Amino acid sequence: MNERITYCLTLIPVLPLLAAVIVAVLGPKLLRAHSHIPVILGLAGACVCSMILVVEVLHEQASLPTDRQHAGFEQIVTLWTWANVPSAYNLPSDGVTLAPHADRDAGWRDFRIDISLRADALTAMMLGMVTFVATLVAVFAAGYMEGDRGYWRFFAYIGLFVFSMTMLVSVSNFLLLFVFWEAVGVCSYLLIGFWYEKPEAAAAGKKAFLVNRVGDFAFTIAMFLIWCTYGTLNYHDSLADGTTDPERVAAVTADSPSEQKLIRGVLGQDRILASDYATGWLATTICLLLLLGACGKSAQFPLHVWLPDAMEGPTPVSALIHAATMVTAGVYMVARCTPLFAASPTAQLVVAVTGGFTALLAGLIALTQFDLKRILAYSTISQLGYMFLALGAGTVLGVTGGMFHLFTHAFFKALLFLGAGSVMHAMGGVIDIRQFGGLRRLMPWTHATFLIGCLALAGVFPLAGFWSKDTVLAAVHDKAHAIQHELDHRTGSHPGHADAEPSEPGPLAAWSSQQLTTARSIYNVLYYGAIFTAFLTAFYTFRAFCLTFYGEERIPDQAGHHAHESPPLMVAPLAVLAICSIFVGLAFVAWSGSWGGNILATYLQGAPSLAAGAVAATKAPPEFHLQIAGISTLVTLAGILSAMFLYMGGAKEATVLKQLFDFQGTQQLTDPQWIVELGQIPWIDATTRFLRSVYLGWVVTLVGYALGALSLVLTIPLLIGQFLSPYKLSRNKFYFDEIYTGLVVWPLRILASICYWLDRWIVDGLVNAAGMVPGVIGSLMRPLQMGLVQFYALAMILGALVLVAARLIWAAG
Amino acid sequence: MNEVSLLYNYLLVGGLLFVLGMIGFLVRRNMIVMFLCTELMLQGVSLSLIGFGRYHGSLAESVASKIQTGPWGGQMLVIFIIAVAACEAGIAMALVLMLYRQSGTLDAAFWQDLREETLPAFVDREVPEEQQVDRVWPRLTPAGVEPAIDPDELLHRPRV
Repeated sequence: MNERITYCLTLIPVLPLLAAVIVAVLGPKLLRAHSHIPVILGLAGACVCSMILVVEVLHEQASLPTDRQHAGFEQIVTLWTWANVPSAYNLPSDGVTLAPHADRDAGWRDFRIDISLRADALTAMMLGMVTFVATLVAVFAAGYMEGDRGYWRFFAYIGLFVFSMTMLVSVSNFLLLFVFWEAVGVCSYLLIGFWYEKPEAAAAGKKAFLVNRVGDFAFTIAMFLIWCTYGTLNYHDSLADGTTDPERVAAVTADSPSEQKLIRGVLGQDRILASDYATGWLATTICLLLLLGACGKSAQFPLHVWLPDAMEGPTPVSALIHAATMVTAGVYMVARCTPLFAASPTAQLVVAVTGGFTALLAGLIALTQFDLKRILAYSTISQLGYMFLALGAGTVLGVTGGMFHLFTHAFFKALLFLGAGSVMHAMGGVIDIRQFGGLRRLMPWTHATFLIGCLALAGVFPLAGFWSKDTVLAAVHDKAHAIQHELDHRTGSHPGHADAEPSEPGPLAAWSSQQLTTARSIYNVLYYGAIFTAFLTAFYTFRAFCLTFYGEERIPDQAGHHAHESPPLMVAPLAVLAICSIFVGLAFVAWSGSWGGNILATYLQGAPSLAAGAVAATKAPPEFHLQIAGISTLVTLAGILSAMFLYMGGAKEATVLKQLFDFQGTQQLTDPQWIVELGQIPWIDATTRFLRSVYLGWVVTLVGYALGALSLVLTIPLLIGQFLSPYKLSRNKFYFDEIYTGLVVWPLRILASICYWLDRWIVDGLVNAAGMVPGVIGSLMRPLQMGLVQFYALAMILGALVLVAARLIWAAG
Repeated sequence: MNEVSLLYNYLLVGGLLFVLGMIGFLVRRNMIVMFLCTELMLQGVSLSLIGFGRYHGSLAESVASKIQTGPWGGQMLVIFIIAVAACEAGIAMALVLMLYRQSGTLDAAFWQDLREETLPAFVDREVPEEQQVDRVWPRLTPAGVEPAIDPDELLHRPRV
């Protein structure tokens, strides 16, 4: 057990938590404008620890003994036991009805949840990225949020968020993952609605949390199913008393007699090596529910509606949470659960389709937005779609491609958001690109770093985005090819083999030929869709860039005295992120020594989820796909050049495109007048005159009426097209918000009103009625007090009579 | 005479007195009369006591738990009761006097301020005011000779 890993792994979440607590307690009175100091120090410490962790994990992976090398490296650090219910459930000996894939032995099991942190390649990479970007964003925020009334509150929330995020990627248990999943959702809500007095911000925070909650519901059901199927919620293998020491666990695995039962984790090395996963509809259900949870967190269709609204929060929040960290939690979770997804190729297909569709959808919407931050938000949704597309390919290349794109995207998207924040700060809070322009001379540093970010996002060689996007496209392409290869194997049309051979072992063996054909077509469609989305990405990115920084210099009135370059405190993180965006991808490729290789890929393949099992069967030697690189570069350059051609001159609107896509001018087609005007064109006029002279005038009339009928038929689609033109669809975000308001929000509001009515009038009514009863009885008894002496005497006498009568009856009976 | 029938007669008269007193107390409004009814109730009880005393006193030997007063127990108790009644009469009269001083009337219904606030006060049935129609003399059919009316009497006739 590596001691340094233990210390680093424990310190990484603890330092931001400590900083958050210090700021929360001392911030309001003592620290105030210096609240950023504990948080930046804590985050920098966590960053240093995570770098050490990465180095240590690399070292451990390299020094694995050869017999364990195929299983990958992981180290579990258990802090304490959260819950332990001894003998909570009993596994029957047949193991069929309950927990079919749980531990091999029957008997009583404890329900045990340990706070256990896990160090492996995937976690270390995520931790390094999260803490590094968080530190830079905190430094930027120290300048951006200066003078804000809630300065200390902001930094407390940032500390809390980084704690939750680091714990999310470190924990080794589904339940704890869910706890921190919710925690990052809460921090996101708090930070989006940071300026809570602004009603749009409060509403956006609420919307983000509620949409996340829908995904969380699906995640919860998936967790229940995992518990029922696998009998445990841990990722790692452990013994019944919670020990996770690899030697002791291995001793039990080797079937030596011991009293301790081995509890195989859902993603533990033992289970992966044995490939003991549920298949069929159960696996597909679990994976689809997990995907839905990931869609909620990572803003994929249909739960993507919260991310653009989340731009109401301060820009450093957008850079940290909605570009680099929280939205990547869904991608991380799907990557972590790769063995589960590998057991269900259908679910992988759905993941890919979701990712590809969302990428295209968001790309189309981003084309027409005018709010710089919203363009970047839709860009984030689109790039997350790319990551899911890569993960959906299901191969080792796919998973590593998805994580690689996540890694590089964090840098250049955070850079772009911080650049937008710099612009917004200078323009006095205005972020509508129609209201400012030509800022390249005013803000040279922001201009340069934003340009680098845009080039990285568009995927221009040799910046980071090029390599990662290339890997994503290659993964989808290779998947389609692998399916084709498998089909050829089965039908015998594989070049070099005469007859049909039994299919190769692998995840594709389970599918029928028809399913394979469908899957291949879907992956092909996704591939071409991804290429088109790359074109759109380049186009809208450079549209935003040109509209902001080029053209004539215009500064809105709200800027006041702010209209200057940002202070060095804010420019330094931009510069660091720009350097990272340039070199990160290149460095990984260059370090591995070959064009197609990628040191990140080799590093990630040391993680247990990818090292063994069904996924590892798809490991292919790294090769550089020249044709994919060529196509993507061409497409990117086409996007950049067309955007620059249309927008560089300072035009705020590409009128030609708008006319084309907004169906302007088509309304005239519905008015039959055009037919008459058609008759006045000289050559048509001559033709009709000629036809009339040879008594073929009826042909002319017939043609006229046909055209009239055509215009009548065209009326309806054209009128609909006025409202649903591509431009309007894109501008109004495909009306998803309105659809959801009608489908979901209004029925829930009505339900809530009914519940309110029931609560107020029926439940409270019953309680109030019960309270009124003594009053009513009292009002019945009140007339007994008349004030007249004889009345009281009468009452006394009657009472005495009752007593006497009772005594007589008792004496008689 | 049979002992039991003697007892019956005594109890009957005593009970009658008690009941009369009770009804009188409940019905009358004059405070002194109410007190008189109270005294009546008391005397009724005394009579029953004497009756029981005589009844149980002559059978003293056969009664298991005897009161060691012999045949005169009841009468002795009645003497005490009369004395106590006299004291109580004094107190009651004093109280009635105070009430009369406060209100100027002996009407028990005057004192009803301890009733519930929401209840209306008990008000006597009002004697209707004399109206003009009441002052009309009845017209009889004239018969015989008109009598000679003394003019003084005419002036002083209060009502018909």
